[in-house]
Amino acid sequence: MTTTGQKKSIKSFYWTWLALTVLGVALSIWAPGHFMPRSMSNDMHLSILTIVIFSVSAAPVAAGVYAATLYVLKNFRYRGEGVPPAGADFRGNNVMITSWLLISTVLTIFLLVWGLGALAVDNGSTGRNPLVVNVTGQQWVWSFQYAGTNVKTNELYLPLNREVEFRITSDDVTHGFWIPQMGVQVDANQGVITTIHTTPSVTGTFDVRCTQFCGLNHAFMVTQGHVLSQTDFNNWLTAQPARA
Amino acid sequence: MTTTLEHSAPKVTSKAGGLARHQNFGTALIGGVLVAWLAWFIARRVCDPTGSGYSDLTAIWLGIGWTVGFWIGIGAFNGPLRWIAGRDHTRADDLYYAGEGQGRARYWKYTTDHKVVGVQYIVMTMVLLGVGGTLAMAIRTNLIAPGNHFVNQQVYNGFIAVHGMLMILALIVAVAGPWANFVMPIMCGARDMAFPRLNALSFWTLVAAAGLLLTTLAVGSLDSGWVVLAPITNQVGVAMDFFALAIVVFTVSTTVAGVNTIATILTMRTKGMTLERLPIFVWGSMIAAALGLYAFPYFLLVESLQILDRTVFTSFFVATGGGTGWLQANLFWLMGHPEVYVILIPAVAALFEIASVMSRKPVFSYRTAIAGMVGLAGLSILVWAHHMFTTGWAPTLGGPFMLTTEIISIPTGVFFLVLIGTLWRGNIWMKLPTVWMFGFIANFIIAGITGIYLSDIPIDNQLHGTMFVTAHFHYVFVGSVLFGAIAALAFWFPKVTGRFLNEFQGRISFWLTFVGVQVTFLAMFLSGLKGMPRRISSYSILFEHTNLISTIGAYTIMSGMLVLLGAIITSWRHGDPSGPNPWHANSLEWMVSTPPPLENFDVLPVITEDPYTYREELVRS
Repeated sequence: MTTTGQKKSIKSFYWTWLALTVLGVALSIWAPGHFMPRSMSNDMHLSILTIVIFSVSAAPVAAGVYAATLYVLKNFRYRGEGVPPAGADFRGNNVMITSWLLISTVLTIFLLVWGLGALAVDNGSTGRNPLVVNVTGQQWVWSFQYAGTNVKTNELYLPLNREVEFRITSDDVTHGFWIPQMGVQVDANQGVITTIHTTPSVTGTFDVRCTQFCGLNHAFMVTQGHVLSQTDFNNWLTAQPARA
Repeated sequence: MTTTLEHSAPKVTSKAGGLARHQNFGTALIGGVLVAWLAWFIARRVCDPTGSGYSDLTAIWLGIGWTVGFWIGIGAFNGPLRWIAGRDHTRADDLYYAGEGQGRARYWKYTTDHKVVGVQYIVMTMVLLGVGGTLAMAIRTNLIAPGNHFVNQQVYNGFIAVHGMLMILALIVAVAGPWANFVMPIMCGARDMAFPRLNALSFWTLVAAAGLLLTTLAVGSLDSGWVVLAPITNQVGVAMDFFALAIVVFTVSTTVAGVNTIATILTMRTKGMTLERLPIFVWGSMIAAALGLYAFPYFLLVESLQILDRTVFTSFFVATGGGTGWLQANLFWLMGHPEVYVILIPAVAALFEIASVMSRKPVFSYRTAIAGMVGLAGLSILVWAHHMFTTGWAPTLGGPFMLTTEIISIPTGVFFLVLIGTLWRGNIWMKLPTVWMFGFIANFIIAGITGIYLSDIPIDNQLHGTMFVTAHFHYVFVGSVLFGAIAALAFWFPKVTGRFLNEFQGRISFWLTFVGVQVTFLAMFLSGLKGMPRRISSYSILFEHTNLISTIGAYTIMSGMLVLLGAIITSWRHGDPSGPNPWHANSLEWMVSTPPPLENFDVLPVITEDPYTYREELVRS
């Protein structure tokens, strides 16, 4: 039997792992906030925070796999000519398998607990006098009707710090109602009303985009929205002509 | 690709094979077109009130006619009809059907030899990937700059659907098609598949289905996304009918192939080949085939009901008729998620094989590897509704589906453990299959981790329907499955051709493709994070840079694939000769001559141990 495939010092593996983990954690903290749209609601805050948390927990796992792969490439590559001799003849390692399964289970449970907790508050209603907006998708425009008024618009206006309840439906095919700055998304289905809640947390402009393929001009089914202060919103609402 | 064995084989009698002597791909095309025209002609008179000949019903009859005519023309009905007539195949007929003494012509016929079917699948996969890849390049070219209109908007919308479905079909057969046919029966110690004629049927049925699918490009745009869910499909013309029928025919092909694979593994193993001595790739083939038998009937069902809705005005998925699009979405994803693992598992199993042979070490914990694949397959049937988190359907089920989806990361993690554990303390032979395997490891970790984000509902509410999702599953399909498929091709190529796939060209292709995948899809993740929806033909200036980078990366992948295509074509004829066992492996496919003779073994071998003990004396031999 051959004597190659001996154990080698594992130190370089740990150092690579550590370095890649640090890099991964730094990226995880920096990238989501940098690349994602400006957060304009608590739901979006929660989405970004969850992405950061998941990335930070995934960083050591990915770094471990990369470090192990690099270690294997460096230490166990056969550099001679011809067919390599047989490697170490072991067929498993129960300690390794058990700890691997345990660690991945613990990580999964952590993600689940965090995820279920986040789900419990995400897009949920606080029940405090929400502003109801009836959203209708049709090929290829959005329209917004403010409940209790005769006001109907193609751009969305929302008051600051007041919960909004979107009641969403479609006149024709399925559309996807999405506010990228607020982390809320649900389909507009014909004959069904779907409901989501969110509370705008800063004033400014945001986008409404369609996320379900809806035909020829799907790419252009985009509109703008505006978060106004409470008084500005009330002034705006009363100034609108009725368009029932 | 002639062998000495074929030259010395006794000539079969001139009458053997009967009608099949005159049948090949050409007669199949003629038969398909003739019967299609006949069916269309009759349907137009009988059931098309407009008389235009361009209704959903006439399109469906035309498609059915094409398929039946193709089957008749290729000879699929010969055997059953002769059996009914009491003039069953003789041994000479069977040998004729197996392609004996027919040289290259047998690749164009209803040939039952599993090795011929394997080669047919290699070529078919490459054709499908080639057409799908061309569409991908058209899509990326259109997205090179905001407001670009390289192809017209409606054509673009059709391209994304046909690109998606062609690539899915191509990858379903990319590993299982060539290798569960070419090498798997030899690995089991079998002379052929359990049902050789069904094997030919599954391949030629796939060709018929591909014909229908490509027809959709010619008869108007399939502008509905590859998932083709109502109600948007109600606005699509006859392209939708051809598409739905293509899927129905395709599911026939995969069902036949899956049954055949499982029956072969369970009943055709040679003496001493216990289930625990089977090469791990055989296990992967069996698990994937079983999962396919569970998943694809949903596909058959959903597209059949869609056809009925369109042609005879049932209303399974029509809200105004008491149906619901959500039923269709559920049925579709009941197929759609297991299908991902039908695609992935054979590639992973092939990589386990490669990792063991190329590092000269046994598979790390063979049983854990099997448990991982079985666990993945089992869990994958319980996760489908994570594709529907944002549809509004059954919000109460969000939590449970989040749970099942996240648990899937445990068996997925096992794959990394087995791969790296197998390589650990080995003597890794850095040849082409090994290089592509390392590419798989690097890409699959990104594919896996980005999937975890999407399984979490608060994140999915933000990222669903964006380019982030597109980038995620392209890391799965291109970064992982395609890399695994190419590793498998490089590994078993010498067994098919007797020659090595050119190492130098293969490595150039690897680096172009590997770098291209990172550039394309990492930038695509950023497009998604920034808020770019999927399936849009034109985008805001916000996403300008990341899309330009993705397009540059896509061209890089294309050049890598073209180099690989060149390498395959030239190496097939002129590559370095490899001998029967170039990797000095121990599984049975390497013990037979190259190319393997008809029926593989003169005397069936008796197995006394699994193939993973690499001994010095074997290496020296």
